Amino acid sequence: MIKKNATDLTIVFAVASLVAIGIIMVFSASYTYSLVQYNDGLHYLKRMAMWTVLGSIGMFMASKIKYIVWKRWSKFILIVSIVALLLLFTPLGITVKGATRWLGAGPIRVMPSEIAKLAIIIFLAASIENKGKGIKKFFTGILPYMVLGGIFFYLINKQPDFSTAVVVVAIMVTMIFIGGMKVSHFIFLAGSVTAGMVFMLYQLVFVAERANYRTDRLMTFIDPWAYAQGDGYQIIQSLYALGAGGILGKGLGKSVQKHLYLPEPQNDFIFSVIGEELGFVGGLVVMLLFMLLIWKGVKIAMNAPDLFSSLVATGIVAMISVQVIINIAVTTSSMPVTGMPLPFISYGGSSLLIFMAAMGILINISKYCDFTKGGAK
Amino acid sequence: MKKDRHQKPTRSTRTRLIIMFLTLTVCMFGLVLRLGWLQVIRGEEFQQMARRQQTSDITITPSRGTIYDRNGKELVLSASTNAVYASPGEIINKKETANRLANLLEIDEGELLDRFNNETARVITLKRWVDRSIGKEIEKIGFRGIWITDDHKRHYPYGNFASYILGHTNADNDGVAGIELRYDKHLSGIPGRWIKTVDRDGRQLSSSMEVYHPSEEGLGIVLTIDEVIQHITEKALGSAMEIHNPKRAMAVVMNVKTGEILAMAAKPDYDPNNPREPWSEEEEETLSSMTSEEQLDYWYSMWRNPLINDTYEPGSTFKAITAAAALEEGAASLDSEYYSDGYINVGGPPIRSWRYYDPFGHQTFSEAYRNSDNPVYVEMLQALGGEAFYEYIEGFGFFDLTGIDLPGETGSIIPSLDQVQPKGPEVFTRDLATMSFGQSFNTTPLQILTAYAAAVNDGILMEPQIVKELLDTEGNIVEEVKPRKVRQVISAKTSEIIRQISEEAMRLGNSQAYVPGYGVGGKTGTAQKLIDGHYPAGVVIGSFVGAAPMDDPEIAVITIVDEPRGGTLYGNTTAAPIAGEIFAETFRYLGIEPSYTEDEMDKIEEEEGIEVPNILNKTLKEAKALLSDSELDYLVVNEIFVEDESLVIESRPAPGEKVEKNSTINIHIERREQDEELLMPNLEGMSVQEVKRILNAMGLQLKVQGEGRAVNQDVLPGTAVVKETVILVEFR
Repeated sequence: MIKKNATDLTIVFAVASLVAIGIIMVFSASYTYSLVQYNDGLHYLKRMAMWTVLGSIGMFMASKIKYIVWKRWSKFILIVSIVALLLLFTPLGITVKGATRWLGAGPIRVMPSEIAKLAIIIFLAASIENKGKGIKKFFTGILPYMVLGGIFFYLINKQPDFSTAVVVVAIMVTMIFIGGMKVSHFIFLAGSVTAGMVFMLYQLVFVAERANYRTDRLMTFIDPWAYAQGDGYQIIQSLYALGAGGILGKGLGKSVQKHLYLPEPQNDFIFSVIGEELGFVGGLVVMLLFMLLIWKGVKIAMNAPDLFSSLVATGIVAMISVQVIINIAVTTSSMPVTGMPLPFISYGGSSLLIFMAAMGILINISKYCDFTKGGAK
Repeated sequence: MKKDRHQKPTRSTRTRLIIMFLTLTVCMFGLVLRLGWLQVIRGEEFQQMARRQQTSDITITPSRGTIYDRNGKELVLSASTNAVYASPGEIINKKETANRLANLLEIDEGELLDRFNNETARVITLKRWVDRSIGKEIEKIGFRGIWITDDHKRHYPYGNFASYILGHTNADNDGVAGIELRYDKHLSGIPGRWIKTVDRDGRQLSSSMEVYHPSEEGLGIVLTIDEVIQHITEKALGSAMEIHNPKRAMAVVMNVKTGEILAMAAKPDYDPNNPREPWSEEEEETLSSMTSEEQLDYWYSMWRNPLINDTYEPGSTFKAITAAAALEEGAASLDSEYYSDGYINVGGPPIRSWRYYDPFGHQTFSEAYRNSDNPVYVEMLQALGGEAFYEYIEGFGFFDLTGIDLPGETGSIIPSLDQVQPKGPEVFTRDLATMSFGQSFNTTPLQILTAYAAAVNDGILMEPQIVKELLDTEGNIVEEVKPRKVRQVISAKTSEIIRQISEEAMRLGNSQAYVPGYGVGGKTGTAQKLIDGHYPAGVVIGSFVGAAPMDDPEIAVITIVDEPRGGTLYGNTTAAPIAGEIFAETFRYLGIEPSYTEDEMDKIEEEEGIEVPNILNKTLKEAKALLSDSELDYLVVNEIFVEDESLVIESRPAPGEKVEKNSTINIHIERREQDEELLMPNLEGMSVQEVKRILNAMGLQLKVQGEGRAVNQDVLPGTAVVKETVILVEFR
C-alpha cells in the first residue's frame, strides 16, 4: 500500500489567504453599493461569511473523500449537472437582471453552471482514463467530447452566461490536450473552437438586435475613452481605481471608486478595488497566491497516482487559471469586457463553494501523489 | 488492463502539463507587467483623472462689499441668489431634466438639452443669479446631476441714482466703472473653494478628504456722498433737463473745507442694474445696427463720468481765478476802477463784452466781476502778465489731476506759456487774452470746482475726496481717508475779497443761484463751444460755480448745462437756477438756519409764507395729504423703501415755521427694524434634536430629511440667513 502524504498545507494556506482577502475586500467594496441597493451595508458580508463556512466544510469533506469515489459517480454527476442546467428553463430558474443563472428555493440559491464546471472535470477525467489510447482517435475519441462540450456551451450560454460557457469549453480543451490527444487534433479542435467563437461574434456583431452596442463593446478595451459615455465607462473606472492605488494603495477601505463608480465592485471588478486600496503590491500578492495554487496543482497533476486524478487536477488548475486570467485581463483593459468573477475573492456563493470543494479534491489527490524525484517511469 | 488504467501520468502527459504551466505563467506574467504599467507608470495620470471625477470643486463667490453713503445708507448691495450647475454625466433623464428646468430657469429647453449632450466639462454653469425661491424649488425636486450654490448679484436699489459715482459690475462681478472699478480689489473679497470627494451621484463621501476655504467678504466702502444731497442734485438736474433740453446737465457738490464730494451727478445717466440699456429708444435702434466694436464704444462713452473724464472750456467762471491771481499779485484791488467801451483790441478781431451794444462804461472791481465784462479781465491780465497768470493756473491745480478716487480722471488741456506768448512777455497776444475769461483751454468741471473752492476757502486747495472709510464685515473701520490739503494758493485776505465779490455778484445780480438767507456767492459762465475748429453761434455751455454761505463757506457747487436748446443759453439762466435749488434744499436738509439781511427780512414779511403743518407722529399717508393741502412738497430723507404706514418722526423745517409755497419739507420716518442677519452654523454630525434646538434658538425653521446624524444642510455654514428661513437638513 502506498503511504499517504499529509494534507498539503501550502494549498490550505493559499486558499485561506485568498478567501480571507475575499471576505475583507467584498465587505470593503460592497459597503456603499449594498447600502444603496439593500439599505444594509453588511448585506454581502453576511452572505459571504455564510458561504465561506459552507465552503470550508465542503473543502474539508472533499479532502477526506478518496478521489476514486468521484470516478465511480462521474456519469451520475454529469447527468445531475445537465438536469440542473435544464431545470433553469423551468419555473425553478431565478432570473436576476435578465439572466437566469440560479436555481433555488428560499434563501439558498445554486448556480448550476458552477456545478457543471466541476462535473465536467470529473466526468472528462474518468472518461479519458477509460478510453486509454482511444483518445488519439478522432471520431470515437474526440468527437463525442466536442458534442458534449457543444451541449454544455449551448445550455450555459442560453442563460445567458457567455463567460462561464467559455470557461467550460476552455477546461475541456485543456483536459483533452493533457489527456493525450494528437497534436493535429488539438490544432483542429482549437481551430474549430476559434471558428465557433468567430461565428458567435459574427452573430453578435451583425445579426443581433443591438448590433452597434456589441461592436462597441468588443473594441472599447483598446481605447475606452472613445466610448466613455457607454461601455468604456466601466473600463475607465477600473483604470482610475488601479491608477489611484499606485504602488502601495490608498489603504484598506479607502477606495473612492467603489462608491458607485465601479459597477458591481464586489464582483467582477473586485480586483480594481484591491488595486486601489492595496496598490500594485496588493494585486501582486493576490496574483502570486494564484500562481502558487496553479504551481501546486500542476505539480500534483504531474505526480498523480493515476491519469484520472492527474486530469482532475489539470481541470481544476484550468478552471482557476482561466478565470483569474480573464478577470484580471478585463480589469486591466487587456481584453473586451466580459463578466467573470475572480475565484475565491469575488462575491458569489456557489462559485466559492465549488472552488473550495475543488481545492478539497486537489488536497485529497495530493495525499496519493509520489513526489519523489523521477516519479514517472 | 486494470494496471494500465492506474498508471501514473506518462512522460508525454507531464510534458504537456509543463507546456500548460508555462503558458499560464507567461499569461500571468504579462498581466503583472500590464498591472505594473497601469498602476506604477501611468498611475499618476489615472489618479489625476480619477480625482477630477471624484471631487467636486465649487467656487464660492464672496459677497461683494456694500457701498454706503456718508450716513451709512446702503447705495449698492449684494443680493443673495443661487447659481445652478449641472454635471451632464450624472443626469439620468436628460430630456426630462431639460424640460423641467427650462421652465424654472427660463432657458430654452433645446438649448439646455444641447448643453447636456455636448459639453464635456464635468460641471457646467447653467444660470447664475437665480432667485433663491427658484433655487429652493430646484433643490426640492432634487434632479440628479444638478447643483445649487450660493451666488451674489450686485443690486443697485436706487436704479440710476449716483450711477457715475458707483459705476457698475459685469457678469463676473468685476467692477467696470466708478467706485466699483476703482475699489474693485477691496470690494470683491476673496473667493472661497469647496472641494469634496463625492460618489458617482454627487453625494459627499463621509470618510473622505474635504477642503473648505470660506470666502472672504469684500470690504464695505463709505462714500463722502450724502444720499439726500445727491437726491437733491439729481432732482434739480432732472428738471433742468426738462426745461432746457440740453445735451447734458451735470453738477458736483463739495464740502469747501474738507474737499469731500457730497454729490456728483450727470444727466442723462444709466442704470447700473442694466448698464447696457441705451439712453433712448432711437439710440437703441442705432445701437442694434452697430458692429460690436462700435457698440462697446457707445457703452463706454455712456459710462464716462463727464465731470472728471471729459473737459470743457470753462468760460467766465474762470474769471474768479483770474481775479484772485490779479488781487494776490497786486495787479488789481477792491478799489480798482475800470472803464469799458464794450470791446478791447489786442490784435486780431476785437474782444467784445457780452453787452458790447450797451457798454458798461465805468465799473469798480466788484462790478466788473458781477457784469462779467471780458474787456476788463483782458486788461487785468495785461496788468498781471502771462507768467504770473500761469503760476496761479498751476497753483490752483490746473496742471495736475485733482486726485479724486475715481477711475480715469483726465487732466486739463492748456497751451503752454510759450505757445500763447511766442514772442515773449513783451508782446501780449489775443490767445492769452481770451484765457482771462476762460476760453482757449479745457479743464474738467471738477478742476474748476476745486479751484473755486480754494479761492473762497482762505486760499487752501483741498484734494477732492469721495471715499471716506473702508469697513470690514463687522463694520470696523479698516482704513480712513483723511481730508488732504494740497497747498495754500492765495492769501486768506484775497480769498475774503473773492467771497465778497462773489456774494455781491449773486445778490445784487438777482441771480437765480442766490438763496435769501444763505449768502450764496459765485460766478456764472457762458462759454462758446469749439466744434471742428470754430465756435458756431448758439452752441454754448452754460455753467455756474459758487459756494455758500459766503461769510464762512460750507459747500461749493458747480452746475453745467451743455448745449441748452430750450430758448435760453446763458449760464445765469440755465446753470444758476440748478445751483440755487441745490443750495436751498441742501441747507434746509442740513438744518442750517438762514440769516437774512434786513432787506431780505422785509421781503419775506411781505410775502407771508406758508406754515408747515403738524405732521409729526402722523403716518406718512396722512402727512402727505396735509402737505399737499398746504401746497408743499416732501422728501423722505432717511429711508429707501417707504411705506405709507410709517410714522413721521422729524420734519425740517419744523411744523409752525413759515416756508415758501412749493417748498420741499424733509421728512424723517421711523426706521423699520432691520432683519437681523444670522450666520448659519455647521450642523454636521448633530442629531435631529440638537439641530432642532439650535435652529429654534436662532428663529429658523427646520425641515428634516432622513434620520440619524446631520450630513447635509441646504444653507452652507457661514452664510447669512434671515429669520424664519426654512433650513433643509439631511440626516443619515
